[in-house]
Amino acid sequence: MTVDSDVEKGRPEAIRAVPVRHPGRWAAAAVVLVLVAMFVHFLLTSDALDWPEQRKFIFSIAVLKGVRNTILLTLTAMIGGVLLGTVLALMRLSPNPLLRGASWFYLWFFRGTPLYTQLLIWGAIGSLFPTVGIGIPFGPEFHTWQTQALVTAMIAAGLGLILNEAAYMAEIIRAGILSVDEGQQEAASALGMSRMQTMGRIVLPQAMRVIIPPTGNEALSMMKNTSLVAAIPFSELTFTAQTIYASTYKIIPMLVMACLWYLLLSSLMMVGQHYLERHFSRGVGRGTTSREPRVRFRGGGGGQ
Amino acid sequence: MSNSLSKEPAPTPAPESGGLMVKAERVHKSFGRLEVLKGIDLEVRQGEVMCVVGPSGSGKSTFLRCINHLEKINAGRLWVNGHLVGYRQQGGKLYELRDREVAAQRREIGMVFQRFNLFPHKTALENVMGAPIWVKGLPRDQVREQAITLLERVGLSEKAQAYPSQLSGGQQQRVAIARALAMEPALMLFDEPTSALDPELVGEVLEVMKQLALDGMTMVVVTHEMGFAREVGDSLVFMDDGVVVEEGTPREVLANPQHQRTRDFLSKVL
Repeated sequence: MTVDSDVEKGRPEAIRAVPVRHPGRWAAAAVVLVLVAMFVHFLLTSDALDWPEQRKFIFSIAVLKGVRNTILLTLTAMIGGVLLGTVLALMRLSPNPLLRGASWFYLWFFRGTPLYTQLLIWGAIGSLFPTVGIGIPFGPEFHTWQTQALVTAMIAAGLGLILNEAAYMAEIIRAGILSVDEGQQEAASALGMSRMQTMGRIVLPQAMRVIIPPTGNEALSMMKNTSLVAAIPFSELTFTAQTIYASTYKIIPMLVMACLWYLLLSSLMMVGQHYLERHFSRGVGRGTTSREPRVRFRGGGGGQ
Repeated sequence: MSNSLSKEPAPTPAPESGGLMVKAERVHKSFGRLEVLKGIDLEVRQGEVMCVVGPSGSGKSTFLRCINHLEKINAGRLWVNGHLVGYRQQGGKLYELRDREVAAQRREIGMVFQRFNLFPHKTALENVMGAPIWVKGLPRDQVREQAITLLERVGLSEKAQAYPSQLSGGQQQRVAIARALAMEPALMLFDEPTSALDPELVGEVLEVMKQLALDGMTMVVVTHEMGFAREVGDSLVFMDDGVVVEEGTPREVLANPQHQRTRDFLSKVL
């Protein structure tokens, strides 16, 4: 792959060939262009979208509150889900069969039932467990609370999302840990590092490279799944939009407005993920510290 | 020394600490039903360089890994620097050591792996600095100075900021040696340190190991490099099928092997 050999004498003439034409690509591009033009025309002229109505509500206090709650729920669910998921992943990798079994059972339940149904149960948690208390198992209780008063809609929503997310994160984190070469743990042990140090300093940082891309996906779908907590009910962005159009009857404008907010939030998250991935890809590949694979599908080797 | 142990752990005499770094008594190791070590008796004196050779599957790497308790032995006794490896003996009973105690024992044993096992997310310098900071809790500045000295010693001071993926195999292995030395071990174990290297990179690693030997480090080296064994080794052990077949000075064993199995093996590798 030496490029700068122009100086060499006797270098053959550079190739100037007529490139292969791709009429199929041109036709497809034309079709797409027409569709894009139709879509833009629709956005600009359709009355159903009612942009003035959207503008009226998009920064209203109620909607902003809804956005805040969506962000809070997403953050809570992801942070809690990652922490609990790490514990569950370590349990599944534990030599103790009871810990392994408990983790397996947890995953079986929370991945095997719909999130929406789980959230409905959280909404009715008071009738499942009327009271919660601290005490000796099967023995006396020192203090007892009414569940109805203790678990507010916000807490129910947060817990519901965390417990569900943890089950998925556990599998992602386990896969990440298993992706790290066993020799790394051996090298760390041979240096006298403890299990905790080996996990925290050596294994998890390397596992992150495998963990982060699917976790980014999880965060994105979590941000959207927060709309399901309407089941509890707890008012976040979609629920707020619904509340508004319940009185104005302008359904589509409010739902499109909600979509615009979701798109803004998810775009911000993608930017964040890009930087996280770059940080944890240190030392991978030759040359630079960060590396972006740019792979494109192309028929043949040519192109413009 | 072979009559001191029977099946029940009889009170074993403390190994004569007079200059003995490693003492193995009838060490057995099985993986499931497969018995890999079938009673190994070996002694490594302080400052000695012992080279262990043998066909693959002979148990030589397993024995090396037993020395720092990466593998648990099933029978026999193994001491390093006067400490029973992995266990504590009290009143004729053996107690398994806790993880933390095993980790403490490993600090005096450095190990170099066939596949280097450098930490890929850390630079060469960070690889060397890690363990003294995390394990010994030494101050960063002091460790950094010592790490730079070590990298100079293996000839890689200008590669301090490089990540392992930016280094050649030989350079990675030299960093791995520096990393092990950073814990100031009393004993260094080498598990086929040049087997994964391109032929032209073997020399630079062997040169570093030779310097280490000349500085008086006690070393156990599992290797296929007979030239290194002859030139640097104080003793040569030939293992086959889980037992020590032959042991002596490299010159004796290489020039005048006593056993047919040794002769067969040497005729293939020399």
